[in-house]
Amino acid sequence: MAQATALSAVLSNLSKAAEKQELFGIAERFNELAGLVDGNQARDPSLEALRAEVARDGERDYPALQTAGAEAGDRGVLRAVKWGEKVTTAQRALMDRYASKGDALLEGKQLFLCEACGFIFLGDDPPEICPVCKAPAPRFSNVK
Amino acid sequence: MYASRNIRLCNKDCVCLFVCPTGATDTETGQIDRLACVDGCRLCVDACPSHAIHLVLERYPEPAPRQVALAESMLALCERKSHEERTALAIAEAAPTAGAARVARALARSARILAEDCAREAGYMIPQCEATRELLSQIATDHDGKIRSIAEELIEVTAPGR
Ligand code: SF4
Ligand code: SF4
Repeated sequence: MAQATALSAVLSNLSKAAEKQELFGIAERFNELAGLVDGNQARDPSLEALRAEVARDGERDYPALQTAGAEAGDRGVLRAVKWGEKVTTAQRALMDRYASKGDALLEGKQLFLCEACGFIFLGDDPPEICPVCKAPAPRFSNVK
Repeated sequence: MYASRNIRLCNKDCVCLFVCPTGATDTETGQIDRLACVDGCRLCVDACPSHAIHLVLERYPEPAPRQVALAESMLALCERKSHEERTALAIAEAAPTAGAARVARALARSARILAEDCAREAGYMIPQCEATRELLSQIATDHDGKIRSIAEELIEVTAPGR
């Protein structure tokens, strides 16, 4: 059973699944529910703390899941691990670059996000295809 | 099942207008008229040179079964990604500059998408599957008020045979 912290993402995922089935009313309800259960606890709001969390996934969780997925022959898990690992690497790179350069890093650049896999790209235009999941440019949104 | 057009892929080749026996593909909104669409026909799906039309089903199958331990690991990772999202949102809120806030917001949205993907691979694939329905009953049991009423409504509208 999904725990409290994960619950909102489980429900917003189901909202997207409903939308793809063109069940727009149901999609809306799942989203509403996702918002209502999304409790915002106080955290250590520092980039270093986040950097450490993300690094631990890359060093511990993804390799372990990769092994377990391969042993079970579970290609769905392997796919999610492959995408997730690459996206996580991009997150770490962004944090490192921002930590060393500060706001100068963003000067005149846009932050694009692949809505399919979560890949973050800093540049003038979104990539033609996502280097992680191969989704086309229109799947990117511009984070303001 | 009925046909649905992805307007972003449609190149206006208009072959779907020629093959449709009911005229369902020819509408002023750009959307196929699903009430006029013949269940299971799929002529336009196969005819469209731009692959802009797909079928929407009334019933989807249960997702393929997955090792319980693996599903649990995916859910644990979903939990971690959600935690990272919260941390990033907190950073965004307390950010000293607009740039720091923008970076944090991008990281938060990225973490949410990763969490959602983990949720999917943990078995919460579609609104109608058993795992989802169990989750919704749990939510209805654990909460009251608005959360419970929405969960109950969703249990009803996703029931098999609906
Ligand atoms: S055949 Fe395909 S591309 Fe042509 S109008 Fe129909 S949906 Fe659009
Ligand atoms: S599936 Fe058949 S009836 Fe339905 S819109 Fe396409 S051609 Fe027309």
